[in-house]
Amino acid sequence: MRFGDVGRLALENLWRTRLRTVLTTLGVVIGIGALVSMVSFGSGIQHNIASEFRELELFTLIQVLPGDVDLSDPLAAGMRAMEEGVETLDDETLAALRAVPGVALAYPEVSFPARLEFDGESAQTTVRALPAAIGEFKPFSELPYGAFFGSDGDAAIVVSQSLLEDLGIRLTDVPATAGRAHGDTTVTYAMLHSDEVLGRTLTLHTAVVDARSLMRQVASFEIPSGDLPVREEITELTIVGILERAGGFTSIGLGGQAIVPPETAEEIPRLAVSSVWDLIGGGGGDAGYSSISVRVRSMRDLDTVKGEIEGMGLSTVTIADHLEDIRSAFVVMDALLGAVGTIALLVAGLGIANTMVTSILERTREIGVMKAIGGGEWDIRRIFFVEAAAIGLMGGVLGLVLGWLVTRLANAIANAYIRPYGVPATDLFHMPLWLILGAVGFSVVISLLAGIYPAARAARVDPVTALRHD
Amino acid sequence: MCGSIIGPRSEDVRACRTGITVKGFPLEHILRIRNLSKTYHRGAIPIHVLRGIDLSVRTGEFVSIVGRSGSGKSTLLNLLGGLDTPDEGTIIIDGEELAAAGPRALALHRRRTVGMVFQSFNLIRSRTAIENVTLALAFGEYPRAKRRDRASSLLDSVGLLHRVDHRPGELSGGEAQRVAIARALANDPFVLLADEPTGNLDSATSSEIIDLLEKLNREDGLTVLMVTHDHGGARMVSNRVLTLLDGQVVDEEVVTR
Repeated sequence: MRFGDVGRLALENLWRTRLRTVLTTLGVVIGIGALVSMVSFGSGIQHNIASEFRELELFTLIQVLPGDVDLSDPLAAGMRAMEEGVETLDDETLAALRAVPGVALAYPEVSFPARLEFDGESAQTTVRALPAAIGEFKPFSELPYGAFFGSDGDAAIVVSQSLLEDLGIRLTDVPATAGRAHGDTTVTYAMLHSDEVLGRTLTLHTAVVDARSLMRQVASFEIPSGDLPVREEITELTIVGILERAGGFTSIGLGGQAIVPPETAEEIPRLAVSSVWDLIGGGGGDAGYSSISVRVRSMRDLDTVKGEIEGMGLSTVTIADHLEDIRSAFVVMDALLGAVGTIALLVAGLGIANTMVTSILERTREIGVMKAIGGGEWDIRRIFFVEAAAIGLMGGVLGLVLGWLVTRLANAIANAYIRPYGVPATDLFHMPLWLILGAVGFSVVISLLAGIYPAARAARVDPVTALRHD
Repeated sequence: MCGSIIGPRSEDVRACRTGITVKGFPLEHILRIRNLSKTYHRGAIPIHVLRGIDLSVRTGEFVSIVGRSGSGKSTLLNLLGGLDTPDEGTIIIDGEELAAAGPRALALHRRRTVGMVFQSFNLIRSRTAIENVTLALAFGEYPRAKRRDRASSLLDSVGLLHRVDHRPGELSGGEAQRVAIARALANDPFVLLADEPTGNLDSATSSEIIDLLEKLNREDGLTVLMVTHDHGGARMVSNRVLTLLDGQVVDEEVVTR
């Protein structure tokens, strides 16, 4: 029998028992729907992280740390460093790093806590010093409002939208002259246009040790009560740019809600302790930096530059390293998500096998007749196989549609939930081509596997017995 | 004698059934059975259904096999039809040894060499009369475009052209058996094997079916082997009537028509 006839017969049989066909197919649809939506969720998260990293040009970033750092146990490493002394990060290192071919930018990591005050509201945050040259890189090159400062000595500051919210300000597109409604019911924000923020002065309050007060306390054996020997210094800075809301993945490797130029940061009086490295190394300047960030010109330079830096006896961390860890974590997550879907599909496969065996019992006589008029075992087997495959194919395609609808619905719901928190709309799901083809293929394969036993059994039907069958 | 509803086969030699030998086998005997035995086991008890049957059938002959229930008539026909395999003996149909054939060869035999008609018609209930016939043509890999035409002419030749699109449930017993005969002839067999074709029919309809088989035998030279209870009816149309008893041929009567 020709394959076209086999296919036609199989489809005719499925049509004849259409209620059962629909119910069986529904099982596959649900299985594939579950599989597709689960895997596309896992895939969506990975996709979003990777594209966000790419978007932020984080793949060009190398974090340089003092030599021989055991990142898993920084404290022990720190102790050892104090005892033995390691390759530290100082201005000499900085100059050497800047000289490495492929390096676009190298700057020390400097950050300090400060209180910011604007329009009578204040907020505590961490201020980072970044060179003006980083303004060429994302996300600083594409600030939504204003621009990155142009020189390392400007009395300027770039703030994030979340910091502005901490200061009770929300940005609106409505110009100042028009009437505005208040956005939130629990917290009252001042709705301001970006033009009402940019160019205005913000005061930065930093704490410094008041040497005189400390001396006085020490001299009089006075127990410090209430008044710490700390004095507040004030620096005025102009807001030149506003960053996207920091949060989600964007904060990885960037951190910071407020950015100032490095020379300006140098002049801001402050306590210089912000990390364990500052304790060890003495914190900045000649004594050394806690870490240095290096930006390479292109992703292709990353590995050579990284190798060169490590050759200088320094440790490096790249986002690519992190991404490998993340990726292996995702393999586990994908496997778990996929397993749930696969179980659903296997149950559907059993449903197919069950339906087909039932169908053989019903069609025993018919199979006998087909054999009597010339049907071979091969023909009968193929008819049943095609029936199983057709259920798998229909179930696979419709399951894909179901899975897609589920992801769209889930995405709409999730976005509706996170939108009030100001998170920009993202597609949480990603359905790559391999998933689409793989899901349908998997469905057909499972169906064929489910069809093996019924098809073999149908082919083995003894025509003499079958023709006596009622 | 060549052609008509059975249609010319590619090998005219065979279709015309002249006495020319094919593969060194005298075509005069389309069918030869030697020492055919078949035993079924009901639990531990062996039932010797056929015990050393010898039979030769000439091309174009009409042979009837009569006997009581359980005499082995249907088993003999199933063996000839390739639905079952013997324990001992040889069956040579159209020069091919059947007893030792594998499942694939048996399927080809059922498809090309023999056509079978049963007491209970064995039409597929979900398919119309013409679809039952085209299904057989599909198994015979007859060109799809020409199947409906051939099925129509086959149904026409059994007098059922007006019932082609009816399902078996809408047909009378006689009509259903005519469809079954048309289906058995679909792939142009050498031998028609009819297992009590009138067993479920009233006497008037039985005569019509017997007459149809006789006509196919007489006009188209189709070799017919018919198992029946109706000894008298068999004598009217057959060249020979064999009587089976307990798996053996106990009587052979040559009828002069």
